[in-house]
Amino acid sequence: MKRISIMLLAMLVLGMTACGGANSKPASAPASGSAEPEVSAPESASESDAGKKVILVVSFGTSYNETRAATIGAVETAIADAYKDFEVRRAFTSQIIINKLKSRDNEQIDNVEEAMNRLVADGVKTLVVQPTHVMNGFEYDEMVEAITPFADKFDAISIGKPLLSSDKDYAELADIITEETTQYNVVKTAVVFMGHGTEHPANATYAKLDGILKAMSNAENYHIGTVEAAPSLEDVMTGVAKTDATKVVLLPLMIVAGDHACNDMAGDEEDSWKTQFKGEGYEVECVIKGLGEYPGIQKMFVEHTQDAIDALGK
Amino acid sequence: MKSLNTIRKNMAAILVLMCCAALTACTTPIQSTQPAQGSTTGNTSAIQFTDDDGREIKLDAPCSRIISLYSAHTENLYEIGAGEKLIGVYTSSIYPPEVTFLPTYDYKGDPEQIIAAQPDLVLILPLISRKAPDYIAQIERAGIPVVSLYPDDYDEFADYIGKLAALTGTEETAQQRLVDFYGAIGDVVAITEQVTDKKTVFMESTENELRTVTPYSMPGRAIVFSGGINLAVDAQPVAKGSAFASFGIEKVLENADNIDVYVSQRGAMNTGGNLMSISERDGFDTIKAIKENRVYLIADKIINSPTFRFQKGVAEMARFLYPDLMDGLSAYENDDAATRLGCAEIVLKALHLPIYTPPSSKYYETEQKGHTYGFFEDVHWNDVGFDAVETAVHGGYIDWEKASDGLEYFYPDRLVTREELAKTVFLVGNFSPTANTEVDDIDACEKPRIVQTLVDRGIFLLEDGNFNPKRTVTNNEILTALKATLANSVV
Repeated sequence: MKRISIMLLAMLVLGMTACGGANSKPASAPASGSAEPEVSAPESASESDAGKKVILVVSFGTSYNETRAATIGAVETAIADAYKDFEVRRAFTSQIIINKLKSRDNEQIDNVEEAMNRLVADGVKTLVVQPTHVMNGFEYDEMVEAITPFADKFDAISIGKPLLSSDKDYAELADIITEETTQYNVVKTAVVFMGHGTEHPANATYAKLDGILKAMSNAENYHIGTVEAAPSLEDVMTGVAKTDATKVVLLPLMIVAGDHACNDMAGDEEDSWKTQFKGEGYEVECVIKGLGEYPGIQKMFVEHTQDAIDALGK
Repeated sequence: MKSLNTIRKNMAAILVLMCCAALTACTTPIQSTQPAQGSTTGNTSAIQFTDDDGREIKLDAPCSRIISLYSAHTENLYEIGAGEKLIGVYTSSIYPPEVTFLPTYDYKGDPEQIIAAQPDLVLILPLISRKAPDYIAQIERAGIPVVSLYPDDYDEFADYIGKLAALTGTEETAQQRLVDFYGAIGDVVAITEQVTDKKTVFMESTENELRTVTPYSMPGRAIVFSGGINLAVDAQPVAKGSAFASFGIEKVLENADNIDVYVSQRGAMNTGGNLMSISERDGFDTIKAIKENRVYLIADKIINSPTFRFQKGVAEMARFLYPDLMDGLSAYENDDAATRLGCAEIVLKALHLPIYTPPSSKYYETEQKGHTYGFFEDVHWNDVGFDAVETAVHGGYIDWEKASDGLEYFYPDRLVTREELAKTVFLVGNFSPTANTEVDDIDACEKPRIVQTLVDRGIFLLEDGNFNPKRTVTNNEILTALKATLANSVV
């Protein structure tokens, strides 16, 4: 039996050859900015599925339909457009969101295990799994754990990297977010990105990104903080207080601008980032826009998918 | 008016509440010892009635070691002065805040845990009897009295409270509390029945299938009491006795132009949507209430639960519908020194803030980054102004203090200073810095950036070149500063 060896930030490669299966119908682009892209919905297996090549895009998920289409959906569409000889499928890791979408919208989205079972049942032999996670934290580890038992069911399988893996990724992300926020990058303004944060060692991602931004010639007024770990809001406020900033622009450093962005960042409660900064006398502007909405971020995930495809059969 | 008549009828009912149908006379000295109407002749039990599962309840004396497996019973026992008789509550009970210190029990768990606690009464509701009959049977076999109560509708509330009062010997407090309860609802009715331009409201009870509430449910009654026109007045219950009624997105959109106010009932189960999920639904941008930013969330605990907090739900609904009418500030148009409690009440009303309630039953399971709801040592949950204080503090509008022992204080009677007011109005608005007016005592200010900005923007005037951060302010000064803020800030 084949065994997967999991290395931090490394792609997983199994099997010997990539199948040259029949081309599948590519996922089409969304009809409008708010429409969901046409990612393959779960369906029963058919004979024609055998030999099919699939990219499984794994996301945490969100129950906000418009936001989902603009972020996760946009990433999936970008991947589908780039790799038309692959079928693109969707899986979410949040069972709560999956259940909510099923009960509210009657929309069936697989969790990772269900998606893997379906791929096996459909006779898919070539699989690329591309997560849309920011970094390789617990969510990523759990995704890999869920995939591992299925590894020997495929002739070739490869797992792509999260958004921030290599030094090149950090540099690219720094360039993208500074370019996308040029209008806020003005005198006496601090641009603050709020990440999720985690107890996982991968949390070092945030401090590293913060350091890279501050080392740039045009982004010394950019700050990275997290909701649940370090750098904390207090760390960020201390950093901002050392500058001449009178205004703070808050943005989420998350693929999806969902509840965390609306509540922890831009909410009206005492402990929200908006309220805390206002309490210190700053003018505050909140930008509710997930990273997944930026074309540059979508392109990064396409590139990571390419790396995973390149690793197939190696 | 039907709703007012209903209230008057209930008021009359209260006057005879403690000797009404199901109850026998109580043993407290101030009560009559004559058997009440409906008591069983010859029965020597002091407390006797039929519970909502059909049990014949006969107890010789009020109970003093009670486990309540329904959060509404728990709340109501505290309200009628029987809170100290509780020795355990249901796992998801979080109101009033002190219940979080009591042991919790779950009817999906082991009944031996309850038996071991040796209660002299276990309070349930018929739903638990249906869901966990073996659990309840085992408790009863251990000789522990079980009483199942649930008022099917608003009109049964007083009778239900009467039974709780009899079980705990708190009839006098319960009676006064009911008078206050119906009086508070009557006050709302008295205000809203003057409205000639009635607002039409749609109430969403579940996102799934977009259900509403039945007209005779507690939320349905709240719409009537608050002077609203229920868009879904003909909605049929999804099942017999259910408070949920079928409606659907299509019918909502058909009435898009007629919905003045859209209210979503939020709770742990079968919840309505939040502001973001409602606004992003296809076609909902055509709804009048959404176009005019008249979408509100209300906790199901204050609008759909048979508790005294329903009076808050009614008042909130009326505030959603007629904010200017309900949130009048004339009581504060004076030059009295402003207290922090008064400031909280002004902020609540001037900004028409929905009263804060904890977002979930898991609220107390994690340590709060800021103030913990209900934990002020000097503002109790049944104090006047509790909701205003909690709302203003949770919104960050007014500061609070944590003492060295970890206890939290609001200091409601302390007078408001110029600098405290400055922070409050700065939180209300959003100001771009402008000029850099010379403020002679800026170094004496704790938040110089706030003071500087508000002086620059003309919200605060200097007094002989000084800001005077420690000077106390009047109620009129608060009103003036808030008015100027709402007119001048960049929103």
